[in-house]
Amino acid sequence: MTFDSDTVLSAQKLSKAVDGPDGRLTILEEVSLSVARGASLAIVGASGSGKTTLLGLLAGLDRPTGGAVTLDGERLDTLDEEARARLRRRLVGFVFQSFHLLPALSAEENVMLPLELEGRDDARERAQQALGDVGLGKRLHHYPHQLSGGEQQRVALARAFVHGPALLFADEPTGNLDQRTGAAITDLLFAMNGEHATTLVLVTHDPKLAARCARTVHMRDGRLIEDAA
Amino acid sequence: MKPVVFAARSLRREFRHGELATLAAALVLAVAALGAVGTLAARVERAIVASAAELLGGDLGVSARRSALPEDFVDEARRNGLATNRIVEFSSVVFSGDASQFTEIRAVDPAFPLRGALSVRGADGSARAAAAPAPGEVYADRAVLVGLGRSVGERLQIGGRDLAIAGEIVNAPGGSVFQFAPTVLMSLADADAAGLLGPGSRASYRLLVAGDAPAVDRYAAWAREHLPPAARLTSVEDAQQNLRSAFERGESFLRLAALLAALLAGIAVALAAQRFSRRKTEEVALLRCLGASRGEIVLALTLELALLAVPACLIGAALGLGLQEAAFAFARELLPGAVPALPWGPSLSAFLIGLAVLFGFALPPLLRLRDVEPMRVFRRDVDTRIRRFDALYLLPFAVGALLILIESGSGRLAGVLGGGLLGVALATLAVSLLLLKLLRAGGRRLPGALRFGLANLVRRRALTLIQVGALALSLTALDLLAVIGPSLLERWRADLPTDTPNYFVLNVQPDQRRDFEARLDGLGARNLSLLPLAAGKLVAINGQPPRAADYADERAGNWIEGEVRVSWSAEVPPSNRIVQGTWHGDPATPQLSVDQSWFEMFKLALGDTMTLRIGDQEVTATVSSVREVDWSSFRVNFFMMLDPAHGDALPHSFIASFHLPPDSAGLAELSRALPNVSLVDINAILDRVRDIIDRVSSAVTWVLGFSLIAGLLVLLAALAATADERRFEIALLRTLGANNGQLNAAVLGEFAALGLLAGVVAAGGAAPPASRWRARCSACPTTGRRSARSARSRSPRPCWSCWRAWPARGASRGRRR
Repeated sequence: MTFDSDTVLSAQKLSKAVDGPDGRLTILEEVSLSVARGASLAIVGASGSGKTTLLGLLAGLDRPTGGAVTLDGERLDTLDEEARARLRRRLVGFVFQSFHLLPALSAEENVMLPLELEGRDDARERAQQALGDVGLGKRLHHYPHQLSGGEQQRVALARAFVHGPALLFADEPTGNLDQRTGAAITDLLFAMNGEHATTLVLVTHDPKLAARCARTVHMRDGRLIEDAA
Repeated sequence: MKPVVFAARSLRREFRHGELATLAAALVLAVAALGAVGTLAARVERAIVASAAELLGGDLGVSARRSALPEDFVDEARRNGLATNRIVEFSSVVFSGDASQFTEIRAVDPAFPLRGALSVRGADGSARAAAAPAPGEVYADRAVLVGLGRSVGERLQIGGRDLAIAGEIVNAPGGSVFQFAPTVLMSLADADAAGLLGPGSRASYRLLVAGDAPAVDRYAAWAREHLPPAARLTSVEDAQQNLRSAFERGESFLRLAALLAALLAGIAVALAAQRFSRRKTEEVALLRCLGASRGEIVLALTLELALLAVPACLIGAALGLGLQEAAFAFARELLPGAVPALPWGPSLSAFLIGLAVLFGFALPPLLRLRDVEPMRVFRRDVDTRIRRFDALYLLPFAVGALLILIESGSGRLAGVLGGGLLGVALATLAVSLLLLKLLRAGGRRLPGALRFGLANLVRRRALTLIQVGALALSLTALDLLAVIGPSLLERWRADLPTDTPNYFVLNVQPDQRRDFEARLDGLGARNLSLLPLAAGKLVAINGQPPRAADYADERAGNWIEGEVRVSWSAEVPPSNRIVQGTWHGDPATPQLSVDQSWFEMFKLALGDTMTLRIGDQEVTATVSSVREVDWSSFRVNFFMMLDPAHGDALPHSFIASFHLPPDSAGLAELSRALPNVSLVDINAILDRVRDIIDRVSSAVTWVLGFSLIAGLLVLLAALAATADERRFEIALLRTLGANNGQLNAAVLGEFAALGLLAGVVAAGGAAPPASRWRARCSACPTTGRRSARSARSRSPRPCWSCWRAWPARGASRGRRR
């Protein structure tokens, strides 16, 4: 496998199969790709095409049954879950379709979370700054249920970028939002991505969102069928 | 991540969630119940021990028959900084003018009494506190004064010494309710000078000591090592038996109820923790996704629970202390002596048990969260199926078993109770699986909404099993308490019917018998039990002189060394039941019926012979039957009963028990007419025991309340376990057009099936112990009770053998021994 200093993420013949009621089911079959540092990649495909599975494997949330993933020079497929967690803590940010804010924590506390996991002492100040950057400087102490969908996703964006990750993984970041709010979130996402020079890998159904990325790959039945720059 | 900060933040927001409130309430309840009952029991025990010391006249007694204790015993006591008091007891006839009276003399040194207070009535009729009798003076029981026809200020003679009667004894510590002659208290110096303690005297020597508890314990250990043959230690534990046993009986039930409340609370905690961990699954997945380690997550969750649990347990402990304070105030007037200090140990142990219950029942589902896959943030269907932690589910059972063991104080009893509850759990599992299988097969034929409700049970199989198991266990516990509680109290009250004998009469001579019976008849006495009494010595078993060393039970030695009493009767006495052999008819050779505890203590077999020396006669009788005796019946009972044909020939007096309304005027006339007769009034004892029964009944109701609330919590927690899912399903059904009737049918169908399943198993689970308990009761003689242990004290007290049939009966005993 080749890996140069410009490549922050690469997959070689990545496969994932699970045992189902009707025997072994292949979800992902020998997918190979690489993403350059600072690039943006959209993974598109129909439901069940394997794009979320691919995202999970690339982010080190799951282990492949075959092939290799390298993230910032580290072979994820050889690391155990604890080591991958440490790597994610340092290098990775996430944005989810359903926001995934912790309901027990305020907006500020949600954004502090990645910094606290790193053991940073300036977590609160940086979280306040990040929330200010996404226009929620006055909603610091609101809890998720007190925020609209768009506001929740903005908190999620602040949380994703606050610790300056090398890579940002986004799963349908506008999937739960109306068109207008979705567009605003998309703008914010790409603006922050540009500002932080983060590598972005996102999964989406939305062709417009995919088009904002520098590169798009298409998936069908667990295979990469098209790679369009 | 700073787990403490994270835990505190989570708790701050999540406390309003039902499961954490349930969890906290369950802990408050468990700790309050255990703390209240434990503290109350410890405090009552302290009060009883303190009053027992007053009754004994010291903190520890060393007794020897026939010969004085070696001087070492006094020296060692002094070395330990203990106060000492010597007492010598012997029987003697006292004279005054032409009158004479058989008495029990207690010769005491000036230190008497070390504990409690001596009070005497002077010539003016007023009672006063008094010191030990000075040389040349005595104090005498009223019966002695009546017998001699003398009053305070006059004189009497003992062993040739002329002594002044300085007072009539009102209360003298260290005496026995039941002795066979009235007491005279004299100075030890006088007894010595009169030569009453010389060789050949049948005196008992007692050394009482008093001081700090550790010093007393040290001395007791030393004395046990150096005890001469035929000497024995008497601790305060041995005193106050009737009061102690009355409280013990209530305490056992209270402990059982508190234990079951704690176990139920544990089940509620387990259910709440299950729901808590399910709700936390998504959160944990996210934290894993963001890079939190497993250790950090488990630590944060554990801390969150601890932050909840510690205040909850503290509140529970405070509540427990408050409740016991109220209960103790309620029980206070029943307890003699000073108010004992508040013991903190039981509250602390209840607090720790609360934490153990929390972690024992909540850790398994929490620790399983370690294995939540971070991929769950994308796909909820990613399941955690790692079997590695499944052994953790044994933890609640281990904690439950430990709790039962600690609270019951006996491995065997814990085994019975724990095994029973485990049996219910396993039965629930088996029955539930079977019914779920039937539902799966036959459910399709049911009407739509009901089918949907029941299908939920099948679909959530694991949760259904947990819910049914929890409900069945709590219903079993409540069933047991509901069946045993009222029945126990009813039976306990029945132990002491209104016509329970409240007077005992000793020393009725054969020629006074007719007169005595006629007089009692005239007074309207009921429940008269009049039996001959011959006192003597056990001289041989199967022709061989018995040796104390041959018997494991130390009481055997006391009987071999001491005096034994035998009676006879044509019929089996009331409150006795033949359990082996046959009651003697009109045999050619002497036949003996022996109490079961004696039969076991002396390792007898039917057909063995026992030889008794009564006065100058010896009688060798064959053991032909074994009796189970209800020693708590407040009737006259004997360890040995001869056949009347051979008993009548022995020198004897009569002993009687009967019931008369208290303070019956005719009794004074009876005492005057039969002055040698000793009348023992046990109304005070009966009243106190009855009062205890009433008050314990109230306490039982309160503690039952704890258990009921705990049961309710289990129910709430069980229903809450599926509440979120059910809410969603109802909303979905409603969206699809289901009407109220259909929704109700679905929910009711599901709950009814759950309740029915749990109810059936619980009824089956509670039935065997309850019926076993009832069977034991009905097997008891007459009023239904017998107790080998109560036989030891030879004093009447309430029976608890039926209660002993129930596992927790041994709880308090096990704790003390």
